[in-house]
Amino acid sequence: MNVMQQVTALDLALTRTEVAGLVALAARTVAPLWPLESAIAVNPLAGFEDLPFPAAVRMAAAQFGARESLPLGSWRELYAAGRIEERALRDVAIGHLGGAYRACAIVAPGVTMLDLIMTRLLHLPVAAEQTKPSPLAPAAAFLAKWCAAFFDQGMAAVPMPHRELGLYRAVVAMAAHDPEFRSIAGEPGRQLLLTVPRDPLQAIAEGLAALEISDGSALTYLGAVVARLPGWAGHIRWRGEHADPEAAQGAPASMADLVALWILLERADPRAAPTAPVPDEDVTTLLATHFGLPGEFFEETTAIGLEPFAKIATIGAADLGKVFMTAAEWTYCNALAPKLQAAATAPPANANAEAQLVFCIDVRSEPFRRALEAHGSYETLGYAGFFGLPIALHPFGGQRRKRLLPVLLSPQHDVAEASAPGAEREAAVFASANARDILAAQLFESAKRGTATAFATAEATGPLAGAIMVARTIAPRLVNRIASALKPNREDAFAPDAARHAAGHDHPPFTLEDKIGYASALFRLTGLSAKTARLVVLVGHGGRAVNNPYAAALDCGACGGHAGGSNARILVAMLNDPQVRAGLASHSIAIPAHTLFLAAEHNTTTDEVRIFDQVLVPKSHHADLDELKSDLAKAGDANRQRRAGLLGQSPEGLLTGAVHWGEVRPEWGLAGNAGFIVGPRWLTRDIDLEGRAFLHSYDWRQDDDGVALATILTAPMVVAQWINCQYLFSTLDNEHYGSGDKTTQNVLGGFGVVQGNGGDLKIGLPWQSLFADDGIPFHVPQRLLTVVHAPFERVRAVVEANDILARLFGNGWVQLVVVDPHTGTALRWRHDLATGSEGSGPLAISL
Amino acid sequence: MSFARTMQPAPRIAFGLAALLWAGLIALLIAAVFSTRLGLRGDGLALAIGALTLFVASIAMTFSLRYMRANPRQAGFSITVALLVAAILGFVFTRNLLVFAVAWCASGWLLARLIGHTSGWSEARAAARRSLTCFAIGDAALLGAFALLGWHAGSLELDAVLAHVGAIPTATVTAAALLLVVAAVARCALPPFAGWLLTSMTAPTPVSALMHAGFVNAGGFLLIRFAPVVEAAPAVRIIGTGLGLLGAIYGIGIMVVRPDIKRLLAGSTVSQMGFMIMCCGLGAYSAALWHIIAHGLFKAWLFLGAGSAIGTVPASRRHGARDWRISLVVAAVALSIALVLALVGISSVALIPGLLALATAAVTLTGSIGGGLSARASFPLTGFLVALGAVNLLGLGIAAAAVGRDGPVLLDPWGNLAVLAILLGAWTWQGFRQARGTILPPAFYIYLLNAAALRTAGTGQPK
Repeated sequence: MNVMQQVTALDLALTRTEVAGLVALAARTVAPLWPLESAIAVNPLAGFEDLPFPAAVRMAAAQFGARESLPLGSWRELYAAGRIEERALRDVAIGHLGGAYRACAIVAPGVTMLDLIMTRLLHLPVAAEQTKPSPLAPAAAFLAKWCAAFFDQGMAAVPMPHRELGLYRAVVAMAAHDPEFRSIAGEPGRQLLLTVPRDPLQAIAEGLAALEISDGSALTYLGAVVARLPGWAGHIRWRGEHADPEAAQGAPASMADLVALWILLERADPRAAPTAPVPDEDVTTLLATHFGLPGEFFEETTAIGLEPFAKIATIGAADLGKVFMTAAEWTYCNALAPKLQAAATAPPANANAEAQLVFCIDVRSEPFRRALEAHGSYETLGYAGFFGLPIALHPFGGQRRKRLLPVLLSPQHDVAEASAPGAEREAAVFASANARDILAAQLFESAKRGTATAFATAEATGPLAGAIMVARTIAPRLVNRIASALKPNREDAFAPDAARHAAGHDHPPFTLEDKIGYASALFRLTGLSAKTARLVVLVGHGGRAVNNPYAAALDCGACGGHAGGSNARILVAMLNDPQVRAGLASHSIAIPAHTLFLAAEHNTTTDEVRIFDQVLVPKSHHADLDELKSDLAKAGDANRQRRAGLLGQSPEGLLTGAVHWGEVRPEWGLAGNAGFIVGPRWLTRDIDLEGRAFLHSYDWRQDDDGVALATILTAPMVVAQWINCQYLFSTLDNEHYGSGDKTTQNVLGGFGVVQGNGGDLKIGLPWQSLFADDGIPFHVPQRLLTVVHAPFERVRAVVEANDILARLFGNGWVQLVVVDPHTGTALRWRHDLATGSEGSGPLAISL
Repeated sequence: MSFARTMQPAPRIAFGLAALLWAGLIALLIAAVFSTRLGLRGDGLALAIGALTLFVASIAMTFSLRYMRANPRQAGFSITVALLVAAILGFVFTRNLLVFAVAWCASGWLLARLIGHTSGWSEARAAARRSLTCFAIGDAALLGAFALLGWHAGSLELDAVLAHVGAIPTATVTAAALLLVVAAVARCALPPFAGWLLTSMTAPTPVSALMHAGFVNAGGFLLIRFAPVVEAAPAVRIIGTGLGLLGAIYGIGIMVVRPDIKRLLAGSTVSQMGFMIMCCGLGAYSAALWHIIAHGLFKAWLFLGAGSAIGTVPASRRHGARDWRISLVVAAVALSIALVLALVGISSVALIPGLLALATAAVTLTGSIGGGLSARASFPLTGFLVALGAVNLLGLGIAAAAVGRDGPVLLDPWGNLAVLAILLGAWTWQGFRQARGTILPPAFYIYLLNAAALRTAGTGQPK
């Protein structure tokens, strides 16, 4: 009963409320992790964004046990492949050495400092990488196991007992029966189970006191605890902050639950301590040998003379990686900025477009837009793919609602699906087929896990399974055609109905003012002129992948990891509404009567564009529509051809891959993303942006107060930054910030993946989404370059008025370049203001 | 395969091996047709298992052309898979004990290599080691059995050995049969050997598909192949039947608590292999062979499709509403039939699998007809289910033809009744619990959840 006395004697320094506050702060060490069903790109280092980028990477690496840079070998491969310019690398290296004067200093006969660092960057052999997954500590494996059992959304037929008590209390209740707990925590653990408070916050307070963690270091300690299982901690954050309440029904859990469990284990067995990182090896001798310097050189040279040598020899691998990353950023910027500057003051082409198409800002839209523009007089624009509609959609068939909006916002309208115009019969067929499929699935599920029925079920299904396997492996496109013949496409049968309010939610349906507001935002934010063409098409997008846990990662991020067609359809319905048009006219947006708005969806995997609700198109516009469809098909062919080359497949192979159950990389997704360009399309129209840039249309002349620019930079650009950081860090350390090899992943709980037999829930993107087949990164890890086409002072005012922008640009998470529309001058936002500022302000360095 | 044109060497090897496997399958099927046509003495068992293995391997290898394209050791992977298939075919078709033993041991070693395919992953290494240990025990048992049999028969030819079984002393033949059962049970991942299969998720998905369809069931093949030996030792048959029954229930228990798709499927395989070994023990070789084939296809399909398990849960979750009273009635009827048969003294090796199949059909058809669908939607579904049942009967018939004969009846009618009562009773209890939403006793739940947990750690490092 020794432990008992100890515990009661503890003097709790912190109250429950204080602990709750600390845990809430500590929780921010990890980013929320969305379920893969609606995968959202987040910056795994979001909790470190108030630090300068290099410091954040260093701290996070220590916290998560991750790398700080891509291995040097991979950088060299990228360099050899020409993805990083020699000049840029040299310039950055000179900057790293402190300027040209010091870089040119002679350190040995015929050898400069620059030679030394370039040798380290490019030539010295590097130690073999040792970053394969290491086993989880028993305590971590124990908690990961119980998190999996607790958070399961119904994969297991028999749920974990006592889930209703909450994560902490349920695991405490179960641990008493768990031999694994006994082997980890032993007798002290058993005692603790009896005495530890049942309230997680109380338990944390008591634990902090028992572990003798001072108030001052409590936050650091708790942050490190949260970071031990970043996947499960992220899942808890998602459930607590972004999920609908149904997701947590019957199994409540908060970060305090997880932290309290960690502390419980640590009190029972305080041995578990983080290991120190392996120091970088000393390469002085290697360096000397490379330049053919004899051993005597070191004996003869004085200590002071040797200092530069030592300085270069002791640069860590992480810093060398940083040089490469910066060089990759410069390479991109050096190529892009002059072209934009050249175009900045060119007069806009004044041709009347046959049709205008508004695409999502997604990097995959850009090459398609360029291909389409090449096939006719089309004007294309970029706008956030949810088209400004903060909605949640309730799909027919009673699934959970889908949040079709960026995760920065919360739904303001709940929209239900109704049968599409003229598709009442398809809707009925779909409904009936859907009911049949659900019943069949239920019968199959319950039969295959019945002690008496499992065996005959396997036997009866076997021959059918054999036939399905052959078909899906050899002729997946045929299977796809048969499937769509048996059951109509959901999008053909149903349409979101803005007038239909989903029951059970408080959000009101759209009022006329709402509709006019959302419709006018399209014009306000993109600079789309009110003198619209005969056809204006809003093009959402989605990917197509089967048997792929990461399918939703190919969908529209602005639509919460779903395809964006529904949003386009709703806004189009509004824009075609005579009442809305009358309202717009009173806001001085008088849309010509001949303009027809259409909704479409760009399939980014196959480059096919589906135009919705064509039955509603009046005869007067049939010819326009036919021509558009034909040009869209041609653009699709061209873009598919281009993408096929990047994927090492044939264009036909892409169409097959979209429906092939063995395809691990149906498309490159947003890999390669590097830029975010805010400006009119004519600025970029003649530039091949290689599918690497987000394009948001913007006309500074229509935005005197800078409100539109502020919106663009604080909402779509932040989403782009999350995406950029997800790709960056998932590539940089695919094991810790990414989800590893797809072929050994194991879907868990219906919402995530683990590797192999279990462990932490994986975050980030899989290996196949980032690396080419030969193992060279396809995605070059580099920070987003934002280019704004607007007068300097306006941009500066916007950035300084928004904390988040000052933080992102100031801390170097995003590079900002402003191109002045009058002069074509480009200025870069300095993010090193802290270290002495010369010149006139943050927008200082001209390019 | 249009992308064959621009392929690197590794994909080219994979492509070539996939083509080779398909060619092998077609050649085998042609040979099967002709051997019957020409009245040659065909080895139906070997043909059936060989065709299954080649079929699943061809599918898995073709699947891998896309799936494994980014694997740094794609060529090595493909070659190992091909060698594994060759080894399996080796012991399936050979009629020489030495070749059998070598191929059998090689197949285990090759599979362990594939489980540890990802280099430098400590969990994969540990899983590979565990499978090697299990296989080593099984292999040692197999070698022991072969040594005993070969020594007594004075020959290493399969047919000579089997013909000689009657002349071997009871004690020796019992020992050999017991060793064969140990070898089979280790391969089939039945307790106490279930661990290797339950922790084999470090293998790439296509390997799992092949493992669950073409590798684990070799235990059943072994027992059918050496049926005369096992039949000469009724006590060993009882042990095999008991282990099978235990595995069948244990595997279901693991399956229902697993929250991850691959280990859920592995639990299911343990259970299915238990049922299959039970059938072998009972003497129902046709039922066992058909189960090997159909389950192989079923499980390969589920494994290859394991990536589809995202977001599908809520729809199938509502299955809990299934009326457990229907299962109660069905179970009662099935038991009554068994009771009547027992009273009139009729027994058959196929009684247990047959009655379970009937119960499955009854409960599924009731569910489809009474599932609340409109007649227009319900009729095709019910018709489809009936068709599946018919195909199943056909398959069973083919398996019976391939295997030639069933074994002698092991259990008397009351024994059959007892086994049925266990399985049907567990089933009814399952449904009852599910309907009431009652939880499992924590200790029992944890026992199932912890089954075969892999301990790779021990260094106390958090990362």
